[in-house]
Amino acid sequence: MNLFASFMLTSMLMLLLPIIMSNTQLYKNNLYPHYVKTTISYAFAISMIPAMMFVSSGQETIVSNWHWLSIQTLKLSLSFKLDYFSIIFIPVALFVTWSIMEFSMWYMHTDPYINRFFKYLLMFLITMMILVTANNLFQLFIGWEGVGIMSFLLIGWWYGRADANTAALQAILYNRIGDVGFITAMAWFLANMNAWDFQQIFITQHKNLNIPLLGLLLAATGKSAQFGLHPWLPSAMEGPTPVSALLHSSTMVVAGVFLLIRFHPLMEQNKTMQTLTLCLGAITTLFTAICALTQNDIKKIVAFSTSSQLGLMIVTIGINQPYLAFLHICTHAFFKAMLFMCSGSIIHSLNDEQDIRKMGGLYKPMPFTTSSLIIGSLALTGMPFLTGFYSKDLIIETANTSYTNAWALSVTLIATSLTAAYSTRIMFFALLGQPRFNSLSPINENNPHLINSIKRLLVGSIFAGYLISHNIPPTTIPQMTMPHYLKLTALAMTITGFILALELNLAAKNLKFKYPSNLFKFSNLLGYFPTVMHRLPSTMSLTMSQKSASMLLDMIWLESVLPKSISHFQMKMSTIVSNQKGLVKLYFLSFMITLTLSLLLLSFHE
Amino acid sequence: MSMVYVNMFLAFIMSLMGLLVYRSHLMSSLLCLEGMMLSLFIMMTVTILNNHFTLASMTPIILLVFAACEAALGLSLLVMVSNTYGTDYVQNLNLLQC
Repeated sequence: MNLFASFMLTSMLMLLLPIIMSNTQLYKNNLYPHYVKTTISYAFAISMIPAMMFVSSGQETIVSNWHWLSIQTLKLSLSFKLDYFSIIFIPVALFVTWSIMEFSMWYMHTDPYINRFFKYLLMFLITMMILVTANNLFQLFIGWEGVGIMSFLLIGWWYGRADANTAALQAILYNRIGDVGFITAMAWFLANMNAWDFQQIFITQHKNLNIPLLGLLLAATGKSAQFGLHPWLPSAMEGPTPVSALLHSSTMVVAGVFLLIRFHPLMEQNKTMQTLTLCLGAITTLFTAICALTQNDIKKIVAFSTSSQLGLMIVTIGINQPYLAFLHICTHAFFKAMLFMCSGSIIHSLNDEQDIRKMGGLYKPMPFTTSSLIIGSLALTGMPFLTGFYSKDLIIETANTSYTNAWALSVTLIATSLTAAYSTRIMFFALLGQPRFNSLSPINENNPHLINSIKRLLVGSIFAGYLISHNIPPTTIPQMTMPHYLKLTALAMTITGFILALELNLAAKNLKFKYPSNLFKFSNLLGYFPTVMHRLPSTMSLTMSQKSASMLLDMIWLESVLPKSISHFQMKMSTIVSNQKGLVKLYFLSFMITLTLSLLLLSFHE
Repeated sequence: MSMVYVNMFLAFIMSLMGLLVYRSHLMSSLLCLEGMMLSLFIMMTVTILNNHFTLASMTPIILLVFAACEAALGLSLLVMVSNTYGTDYVQNLNLLQC
């Protein structure tokens, strides 16, 4: 009887303390951010203990504390599932959040509501923990909605800005569409398996699981910004950079992927669902990588990079490798958060300049940020033996050697080379060359908060892949033997992307930009998707409803058909009939002719 | 149908024709209206007497009463027209002003 469950629950309960303290004096003074950051670092340390216990002995726990209610035959209780996925994800998430909190102490230093900011970030973290450790779908849904709400509050942090409000609303709406899928799945499970607990769902046999799995796929599409429900992620960059680093790169957007990973026993048998996820992920990763190539806002490029990596994770689930997808989630958190933090450092130093066309030559004034940006980009593209290599390269190898959809595979490979291309673009425009920014901005990266936080994630970006992949219990066996050209595919695509992008950027550096080509316009306007889908369906449905409700029902059926038509008709007729000309003889004559005709015609009736 | 009825029916038709087709004088249509009433009266009386339908014996009298009313009305309209125009030509009735 060891303290496994106690440590884990302690670490999660600790996160609640600063929220509880927010009614006291502690919330009002300016040490509150420091307090929150320290709490999270202690929670990380404590959660490492159960993680190491799991690593050495493979122990998993399910903690069911409190029976909440029973609705006829459904029992709902507060139940935490501490298995492979939760135990490894929680320390990773806490580590990344610790660094982000420290970073926000520097980034949001001048904000008068910094205490509230930290409280919101902490509440987000708590709901994410609830999501990850949930053992039943109800608790997961609580976490799911919680992260959605906190995302809304945090994206719209600067609510005076109209774009920020629109972006927050957009995030909520797109997530809601995904929630419909989630609720469909919950309803199906309740109706057909009488349970919302994972254990019971995975044990009961059922022939056709298409409906709930489709619902879960829709939920993942909404939350993880897959193609079709993706525009909210680039728009979510309206929030402050720590928010982008935490929510929209490491933690919230992986909730959708995490949901699919949780349900991997159900997805293993269903080939249709696997094909669907594969194709969805493939099209997402290619589309967002194409869109990332021509963006000019550094945060948007990193956002599209996140979206592309999420597509890659979904592709991994589609080739029936949930453990690899999970590994990619953990490694991706490190370098993506670091990329966002480096962009935040650049943005703040250049006095809130986010356009890469106005940056340049930053490698001399900001050496630390430069090196961490370059290392982060290399880790992202899967440079051998950095973090990204251990997950991304494995994914590409497995996809190459598995019996899968060739189109999806080739599209993923193209997206891999595009990853290298846009990473090169960021580095080229932001760091290299001559400066293009105003010369009066005080470029300073000397703050210990900034340096320490990026340093921690830097160490993580370099070593975490190795550490995690060598310490986890064995899962599905990766493919051990393959031809050398398949093994080197990922590396070759990445190097191709790097070289191509570098050559193009160098060659076109001082050329005049005449007219954008059609392909450029497609890529820059995000494939015309937001332009079309935000305007056309809404105008159509609103016009249709206005026409049917107001015009058809009100104006026509209730007004026009009987009342107005009768009065109109009568008035018309009376003016016609009263328009006499006094042709009495003609009238009499016509009367007589009618009589005669009718007599003649009707007299021959037998 | 016996000859009497045919005769009177024919008289009715003649008067009807005269009512509907006239040339210039309004008086002629009024006169034909009287002729129609007369033939109707005779036909009704002969039918009642021949079929011994004694309960309906009052209908010819009622018919006479109504015919007198309508004749009076028609004559008053004629007098009105005559007051305005001096004659009773139908061509005068073209402006709905009497």
